[in-house]
Amino acid sequence: MTAGLAIEARGLCKSFDGKPAVRGIDLAVPQGAIYGILGPNGAGKTTTLRMLLGIIEPDRGARSLLGFDRPLEAARIVGYLPEERGLYPAMTARDAIAFMGALRGLPLEVGRKRAEILLRENGLGDYVDKPIKALSKGMAQTIQLFGTIVHKPKLIVLDEPFSGLDAINQGRLEHLIREEAAAGTTVIFSTHVIHHAERLCERIAIIAAGRIGFEGLVSEARERLRPVVRVRTRAQDGVWRSALPADAARVDGVWQFELPAAGIEPLLEAFIAGGAGIEELSIERPGLHDAFVAIAGEAAAREMGGAAREKETAA
Amino acid sequence: MMGLWESAWVIARRDFVATVLSRTFILFLIAPLLVFAVALAVSRFAQQREARALQPVVALVTDGATAQAVIEARDRLAGGTSEQTFPELRPVAPAERIGVQIQRLLADSEGNYSAVLSGSLDRPVLTGPRRADDSLTQRLQLIIDQARQTRALGDSPESLGAPLQRVVAAAAAGNLHMLRRQFARGGQGLIFAITVLLATMLLSTLIEEKSNKVIEVLAAAVPLDAIFLGKLFAMLAISTVGLLLWGGIGITAYLFSQVVSDWVNLPDVSPAVGWPAFVVLIVIYYATNFMLLGALFLGIGAQASSVREIQTITMPVTLLQVVVFLLAANTLGASGWLAWLAWLVPFSSPLAMVGEAAMSASIWPHLLLLLWQLAWVVLIVRISSRMFRTTVMKSAAGGPLLDVRAWRGGGADAARPAE
Repeated sequence: MTAGLAIEARGLCKSFDGKPAVRGIDLAVPQGAIYGILGPNGAGKTTTLRMLLGIIEPDRGARSLLGFDRPLEAARIVGYLPEERGLYPAMTARDAIAFMGALRGLPLEVGRKRAEILLRENGLGDYVDKPIKALSKGMAQTIQLFGTIVHKPKLIVLDEPFSGLDAINQGRLEHLIREEAAAGTTVIFSTHVIHHAERLCERIAIIAAGRIGFEGLVSEARERLRPVVRVRTRAQDGVWRSALPADAARVDGVWQFELPAAGIEPLLEAFIAGGAGIEELSIERPGLHDAFVAIAGEAAAREMGGAAREKETAA
Repeated sequence: MMGLWESAWVIARRDFVATVLSRTFILFLIAPLLVFAVALAVSRFAQQREARALQPVVALVTDGATAQAVIEARDRLAGGTSEQTFPELRPVAPAERIGVQIQRLLADSEGNYSAVLSGSLDRPVLTGPRRADDSLTQRLQLIIDQARQTRALGDSPESLGAPLQRVVAAAAAGNLHMLRRQFARGGQGLIFAITVLLATMLLSTLIEEKSNKVIEVLAAAVPLDAIFLGKLFAMLAISTVGLLLWGGIGITAYLFSQVVSDWVNLPDVSPAVGWPAFVVLIVIYYATNFMLLGALFLGIGAQASSVREIQTITMPVTLLQVVVFLLAANTLGASGWLAWLAWLVPFSSPLAMVGEAAMSASIWPHLLLLLWQLAWVVLIVRISSRMFRTTVMKSAAGGPLLDVRAWRGGGADAARPAE
């Protein structure tokens, strides 16, 4: 394993009933980072996380979790919140958290004490001895999250942690993730809601159609797209229009196009000389959402092209 | 990673507490007792009713002295056996035309006579339809013989001679063999009955995790082998609680009955290995039988995704148990390939060996066979967890079948949570 990495995966592949779900994923998650795995539904995010954790074995490829080649050997120092939340309905909130800690080697009594502290600190003190079946879905999800961190893991893996939470609880979760990372814990989470990743992550991987479409810093993902220029003119027509790039399109009276390689100055000179009358002008760096859509779209197009070629070859 | 046994302990503790502290557990404890008590009461009542209903009634058309002699002889014989063993005799004064009277009595639906005994002690005549076993004729013959004997010897006790003297001997080979077979049957029946009771519970034990979606939380933290083992041990512990309660009630009832009346006596013959060893072996074989069948049922049940599927699986599983029980029961005290089959087939081995413990004093075959059975427990748990991993978790089996490392655990010191 490479030093300084909490997770390292090379060429992970997995098929279900002959249908590939993950096709050669490489990952390198630095220790102490908040790392996002982004992808559309069915991209292979959950399968990737399950393989990293050893819940399912990859068909091919290798992975290392906190230096352990067999992921279960690191189970004591890993916390995992699965996409499909699951708790025993008859257990009390305190016991559910303590039980999840006990599964990771934390003595039950220590787990109970920590559970009570976690619940009280987060305004759920009244629910310590309430059974899970008496709690709302959001509360139960919070209980499971506490169960994921009660044993103070070095790596926290969260599969779609924000789904099912209201805006307030989403904010709390973001805060909790930041706190854990500040304490030196590595946090990796999957999501298809981009703004969480944009706010939290330094590095991300975008998975589409079972492959990594992008891996790197969030800023690098954004830089894959050129800035967008939006300009509103007083004049509708004129010689200045010949200076517009080929991809320029007018939407609701505003010209939109990617920032030309030569920069904005030549264009502005042409507009002024041609009497376009610039009323509004903005140059915006695309958000992660745009980068995500573009990268996932490219991957889907490649996948469709590949499938079409396979069909042609077969025919 | 926590060691396999440590992980299994966490799973077992949760299952045990969750089950024992649930309201349904009280039902689990009480239901067999109630069913047993009701079945016992109903069967005793039905047996008495049935015996009374099946007791033939014979009209005694003789002179008064003969009728009295026959009835006294009948009562003497019935006193030594049971009231229902001999027919009920009702004296009827003879009419002038005996033949007509007999036909009328046989046709009398209110009298409900099976036959009519007429004539004298020297020339008795039994009139009635032929019974398939003709047992009525034989029993009436016994009564008449008894009456004739009494008439010949007189009524005084001295003239009848001394009653049968009872001399108690330490043992008799035939009696010993018979009682030991009963112990063997009892031991086998007990283990079989309890395992049948728990089969459905074992089959459905993983449904909870699947329906609550807890299985992924467990599978991410501990080896699947540990989940299976933990559940198995939890169920064993739960059933042991039941056994202790039921056994305690049984022993208390026995002691109470000893105090109240002396109608129950423990036989003075012991099983071949002795009572203490026999009891210990019953407990151990119960545990191995439970673990063997439990591991199998857990593996089968793990494939099911709903209670409906479990119900479908239950019947063939119960049939399998019955076949195994019959194999063990029918090879009791036997030798040859069928006996070897019963000893070596892992699922019949505990039952067959309990029988052996009652019949044979050798201990070493038990030690060997227990190791054999435990090896099968390990193998079945491994196979079940691999099947679960491949079919339910949709994953490759992961590691060789007999991977000892997986059962030892590892990395415990390297990866320990902060306390």
